[in-house]
Amino acid sequence: MILSFETWEITLFSLAVGLASTVLILPFGIALAWLFARKQWPLKSVVETIVLLPLVMPPVSTGLILLKIFGRRSPLGEWLYQRGFEIVFNWKGVLIAMAVMSFPLLVRSVRTSFGEVNPRLEQIAATLGASPLKIFFVVTIPLAYKGIVAGALLAFSRALGEFGATILLAGNIPGRTQTLSLAIYNFVQLGKDPEAYVLLGITVVLAFLFVWTSEWLLRTEKKA
Amino acid sequence: MLLRCRIPLASFVLDIDVTFDARVTAVFGPSGAGKTTLLDAIAGLRDIAVGEIEVGGKTLFSSVRKINLPPQRRNLGYVPQEGALFPHLSVRRNIIFGSERNSHVSDAKTMSMEHVLEILEISHLLDRSVMELSGGEAQRVALARAILSRPQLLLLDEPLAALDIGLKEKILPYLARVRDEFAIPMIYVTHNVTEVLTLADWVLMIRSGRLVAQGPPGETLTSSSAVRAIPDEELENVFTVEFIDSDKAAGRSRVRLSSGAEIFVPYRATPIRNTLQVRIRADDILIGTQRPEGLSAGNILPGAVCAMEIVDDQALIRVDAGEIFCVRVTAGAVNRLALDAGSAVFLIIKTRSFQLL
Repeated sequence: MILSFETWEITLFSLAVGLASTVLILPFGIALAWLFARKQWPLKSVVETIVLLPLVMPPVSTGLILLKIFGRRSPLGEWLYQRGFEIVFNWKGVLIAMAVMSFPLLVRSVRTSFGEVNPRLEQIAATLGASPLKIFFVVTIPLAYKGIVAGALLAFSRALGEFGATILLAGNIPGRTQTLSLAIYNFVQLGKDPEAYVLLGITVVLAFLFVWTSEWLLRTEKKA
Repeated sequence: MLLRCRIPLASFVLDIDVTFDARVTAVFGPSGAGKTTLLDAIAGLRDIAVGEIEVGGKTLFSSVRKINLPPQRRNLGYVPQEGALFPHLSVRRNIIFGSERNSHVSDAKTMSMEHVLEILEISHLLDRSVMELSGGEAQRVALARAILSRPQLLLLDEPLAALDIGLKEKILPYLARVRDEFAIPMIYVTHNVTEVLTLADWVLMIRSGRLVAQGPPGETLTSSSAVRAIPDEELENVFTVEFIDSDKAAGRSRVRLSSGAEIFVPYRATPIRNTLQVRIRADDILIGTQRPEGLSAGNILPGAVCAMEIVDDQALIRVDAGEIFCVRVTAGAVNRLALDAGSAVFLIIKTRSFQLL
């Protein structure tokens, strides 16, 4: 089957921004997951709840909050605009919406796999003279890496499926902010069902691949 | 070294205040006595409410002076019960994990990696994954890893507890070799008497977080207070002996006690090292007031009772027969033989009752 230029454009745009969003949240997600799994600090449960909120809140509500934060009339939005960063109604808005919506999935998955790393190994590494940084990168991360990869895949697929927050923050502008999900909605609205079905097929294949890989990784981690 | 610490635990308070200076110090006590907690505290892996820890003249912790060195800077080698090898690294990378710490130290030659691997006989395992190691191999690798970090003190937490009995007997000599070969003092946590008697010069007996006795193992572990805490089969004597010769046909080897007296032990081909350790259970020694004749037993040693203690319905008798032997008999036997301190006696021991380590 030969895909039209438009289909390619939509698919590649979604994949590119989804990938960028995943790469963007990865270091923050890993750091936060480690803080959740290994440290005790005041208001930890409150922060945990806030991080998980986008998972249960209607995505449109999250999108509205983001619009209020990043819109040009907000202090932050204005500050960014003066420095040449406009978030709303362009690809950066898509990126932010995807990042915020997929962040909780990443943090949860990574946190669980950090929790499964035996803290005794980290302690023994410390007695052998390893700095906290060495322990983290040579012991903790390698032992949790499958959970981290699985979490990243999950976050990536969630980013690709993002709709509600994206449409509020970035709009649905063909060629500029239109992702797979937004395009499917658009085609159905316009009665272009065949085009919608092609995109539908792509999303199903991608989703299947990601979830399958992520589950496989988590299964083999349990065994090891 | 100085060890003073107070750590509140779930059911009791670990409260230890002791100074000791031995090559191998055993911390002996039943499970749940706070032994691992103590090692964790020394290693800096656990908070101490009040106390002071000093190793080799260096203060590692002091609640008064607000000193609390992190584990990285305490320079101790910790071998935990389960070995705790890094499962994602090869044996080689496990072993060199801590070796960068003191690579400048001058004794690098005696503690070279080759030498340590040779002593522990693990050179052939270097390229294996740690997941493929047997329990005994894993413990030796964990030991090598700790030694090669060139610590000023080794902390061993029941390194043999997870192994089955046959394997324990095999690993014990390695620990003795490590003790003799490398000048690293050790603190050895265990609830096994044989391990204490075989390896340690000094023993701290701990129960419910308190020090109940301390001293040289041979005396301390056979004191009346200790005996109640020791399983029957573990009350025994361990002697270091010098190998003389072997007679395979007769099934026995001749060894010399430090006093010069010779005894027969089960056959052993001429060992590489001249000295070995033998052990004999306190229940496996007979006492006679006259030299018996016509017995199959290979060893009849003249001696004198130097101390006697009655524990419930049993008697612990210390007999000087070149070495001090601890013998356990019933209280009734003491009465029948009219034993008392100073009595001249003969110790009768079957060759096969001795075990070689």
